[in-house]
This record gives sequence, C-alpha cells and structure tokens, in this order.
Amino acid sequence: MRWSRAWTVATKDMRETFSTAQLVVPLIIVPLVVVVGYPSLFLLALRLTPGSVEGLQGFLSGFPDSAIPAIPHLTSAGRAAYVAIVYLFAGFFLLVPVMVSTVVAANSFAGEKERRTLEGLLYTPVSDSELVVGKISAAFVPTIVFTWGCFAVYTAIVDLLGIPVVGQLFFPTASWWVLMLLLVPAVSLLVISIVVLISAKARGFQEANAIGGSVILPVIGLVAAQASGLMVLSSGLIAATALLFALVDAALLYLIVRVFKRSRIVSYLP
Amino acid sequence: MTDARGEMDGPAIEVSGLSRSFGPLVALDSVDLTIARGAVFGLLGPNGAGKTTTVRILNGVLDPTSVTKLEVLGRDLRREAEAVRPQVGVQTDTNLYERLSARENLASFGRLYGMDTPSSRSRADELLEMFGLTGRGGERVERFSKGMKQKLLIARALVARPRLVYLDEPTAGLDPEASHELMTYITRVSREAHTTFFITSHRLDEMEGVCTGVAVLDGGRIRAAGPPEQVARAAVPRVRVRVTPAAGSPMTAADLSALPGVKEVLCLDGGFAADLIEEGAVPSFVRGVVALPFDLLGVAEEPPTLQEAYLALVGNHQAPAERQAV
Repeated sequence: MRWSRAWTVATKDMRETFSTAQLVVPLIIVPLVVVVGYPSLFLLALRLTPGSVEGLQGFLSGFPDSAIPAIPHLTSAGRAAYVAIVYLFAGFFLLVPVMVSTVVAANSFAGEKERRTLEGLLYTPVSDSELVVGKISAAFVPTIVFTWGCFAVYTAIVDLLGIPVVGQLFFPTASWWVLMLLLVPAVSLLVISIVVLISAKARGFQEANAIGGSVILPVIGLVAAQASGLMVLSSGLIAATALLFALVDAALLYLIVRVFKRSRIVSYLP
Repeated sequence: MTDARGEMDGPAIEVSGLSRSFGPLVALDSVDLTIARGAVFGLLGPNGAGKTTTVRILNGVLDPTSVTKLEVLGRDLRREAEAVRPQVGVQTDTNLYERLSARENLASFGRLYGMDTPSSRSRADELLEMFGLTGRGGERVERFSKGMKQKLLIARALVARPRLVYLDEPTAGLDPEASHELMTYITRVSREAHTTFFITSHRLDEMEGVCTGVAVLDGGRIRAAGPPEQVARAAVPRVRVRVTPAAGSPMTAADLSALPGVKEVLCLDGGFAADLIEEGAVPSFVRGVVALPFDLLGVAEEPPTLQEAYLALVGNHQAPAERQAV
C-alpha cells in the first residue's frame, strides 16, 4: 500500500468536505455550545451566585473524597466546579468526536456517489486498501484535530473562569490527557470505520448519516455516560479502555481492508 | 512477452466470451472484442446497450459474470488490474470535484497516478494550456460552463499520459471548434504516441471520421465490428453512385435509369443518386454516365454512412458478427 496515494485521497476529501457550509456549520455550532457554552455558564453561575451550589449537594455527595485532590481552602463552589469540569463534562468529549466523525465519514463514499464523482476515482490506480484507508483518514484527521482544538478551548475557558473558584490551576488532569490522547482517537477510529463501511453501501449522505448515527450513537452514548465514572476511577483504567477499543479498531481495519472491493461499490452505481 | 520498451505486447484489448448479468437482466452476452494498439476504437450502441458495463469491466472496477479471455495492454485484468490501471485514463459521464479548482482536480489525479507534487502541478498546467483553460486554472470548477467541465474531464483522463484512454461522449457540450481540435488531437496522439483510444459516442459522423475501428453493441451483444467502412458496407448492402450534372444540364433520371446495372435512381438537390445492382456494375455505369451528352461536375461512389449502418443494425438485431481485429 502506498501511503502517499491514500493521503492524496484523504486531502482531496478534506478540502471538499470543509468547503461545504452545510457540513461545517453544524460541526462548529454544536461543539461551541457543549465546549464553550455549558462550562462557561456553569462556572459563571458558581462565581456570580455561590448559593446555587447548595442545589448540587446531592450530586456532589455521589463523588468519593478521593476523587477531589486536597486543595487548600477549597469551598463548596470550588468543589462543584472541580467535579463538573473534570468529571461531568468528560462525556461531552467523547460525543464531540463521534458527532464530527459520523458526519464526515458518512460523507465519504456516499457523498461522492451523490455528487457523481466516485466512479472517476475508482478508475484511478488507487488500490482498494489505499482508497478505504484514505477515506478513513479523511474523517479521522479532522475529527482528532477538531476535538483537540475543542480541548484546548475548553482548557483555556475552564482555567480562566475556574481558577478563581477552585483556587489554583487544576485542569487538565492526568486522566484528561489519557482521555484525549488515547481514548478519543480509539473511539473515533471505531466510529469512522463503521460509518465508512455504511457509507460505501448507502445511496447518499443523508442515508449514511442516518444509519451511521442510529447504529453508533446508542453505543457511544453508553460509553459517554460511563465516562465520568472512568475519570473518577483512574487514568490507568481509561488507558485500558482505550487499548480495548484499539484492539477492536485493529481487527476491524484489518477486516475492512481485506474485504473492501471497489467492484461491490460499482454494483450500487447507476 | 514484452517489447523493446519493456512493455507487454499484443493487442490493447482482447476480450472473448464476456458476459455480465444483473439479476435476471443480461447486460452483456458473450462479447468478443480485439482492439489493436494505437487504434481509435468506437463502441456504438443505444442507451442501455451495455457500453458503460463494458467500460467498467474493461477497467477492472466491475467483475464479469463469465469471461474466457480478458486482457488489457497484454495483462490478464482479472489478476493484474492494479498493474494496468496506471496506464489507463478514463473520462466517463461523472462529475469533477466542484469545490476544488481546475488545477487541483488535475494535480490530485496526477498524484493518484503516482506523480510527485511538482510533476503533477506542471502536468496540470500543461493540460490547462492545451485545453485553453490556463486563465481559469485557479477557479473552483463549480463556476465552469458545461463545455469547460467536459474539457477538464478529458484533460483529467490524460493527466498520466496513458497508453489507453476511454472517452465517453467526449464532444458532448463542446463547441464545434473544440470538438474538431479534440478529434485532431486523438488522431495525432494515436498515430504518434501509439496511444489507444476507446470511445463511446452517439455522434456517428464524428466517430466515422476519427475511428479506425468500430463495434455496434445492442442488447448486450456485438452486432458488427470492423473498420467503419467495412461495417457500413456489410450492414447496408447497397451500391450508390452520385451523379452531379452541370448547372442547367437537361439530364433526367430516365437517362440514368436506362444505363446497365441500375436498380433505382433518386432525384437529389443538384443531382441524382443511382443505386446499382452490385459493386461490379460501377465501372460500366460510370463509363455510361460519362458517355452521355451532358456536362458533368462529378461522378462519385457514395458509400453507406456509419449512421445508416447503425440504424440498420440496431433496428434489425442481426446475428452477432464474428470476432475481428480492428
């Protein structure tokens, strides 16, 4: 397999995808709400109305003392800020890459079929494996770059607004680094591989997006829901979960590269 | 076997017993084709005849249901498709990447054919100049007219200087000048670089002018194949001589009907067309016309056109022709 050819497929796809306003706008708006809106509102509410933390006592009591480091003079508001920023919002950072990757991957083969560009690509010397790896890379690279960008923005916001509440620099924690560097790429790759396969068989982007979303989101929703618990337990457990996903990714990629045949896609073309 | 340049020899395309079905629909039924290197071959046929399926199979993107021999550029396509594709350029009824510029469309395909970035850019510029698109190379393709997009699709097929080029309705959307330039280019490159062109088109007059060989495909079967004149003569078995008398000449159809070997005389604008009983009657007919006491501007055989042959073949569904090298 020639990586340069797979990369050419990927760069061409990325340029096409990110010049499409219908795809880019939702990809920006939803993460903006989740990554910027929620934490900003939460931290501002804690700073402006410290009494509001009383309503969160039940929620906070669910977290063990060991989950919160010994920070001198940590107030109830600081404790609530720490728990929310470090544990509660972690799940969003699995939903963001899933959302981005589902949209971009659904557009891969299905989008090209819809725009009637795919057949020309299939006639080129790009091998079946280069083609599928290129398509997967075209979704994987922007997903990771975008999620890490969101992480950088989230870090800046929570440190800017959260340090006065918590009393010291507290973010990102070791678990967050493991989440972002290992678990997010592993989960994204799984989602992308499945959605690219669906996209190869779907007639158009909407169909691929709908099927991909309905297959992927419930599974990832479960993982995201458990993310807070994972973050509380240990960074080692997150790394182990990422490794498990990576093993599934490797098996799935091996299978896809072996079974993917352009002649099957052509059978679906008019 | 390889030739002096290390390239596989033999015909550009050699296919026998090619069949493809989609469920109960038989798209191709025992198709045989042999296309010599450097030929300009035209595959003619009505919509749904199986032309697209043929092109897809010959490019290794669609598997045949059954085939006895499937060789392209001297290689067995079933086993060596990846070795064949770098030598083949394809323009079909597909779209360009509309949100990329013309130059990006060409250069990215150059890279897919294994060219490095500087070479692919330089080749893209060369092709843009060749097709008169240099000034628009940086623009997104979505702003292009249909004719410009068509030129770019053809340019994309030529980006890697392929030895075999498939063109699907290449002059659709082109103005007459651009069509003529393209046909001239095809003829020149096929002769000078020995590039083989495989063209599917409904513009039979253009095909007749440029093709060294044609095949008529209908209902998934080859109805006739060979050089255009040969196909036309076989499909339209008439011998016609056009007689053009000088202006003001009193020549009538009856004068020609009285000559030996004449079956029928048609009156045309500015002259007559005499259908003869056989080809052997032509010399005596011509001598007879010249001997008549009328001034003449010309006497010339009017062979059947490819269009006449096509209509006769597609209308009649004759038995498949025997396999012929074209």
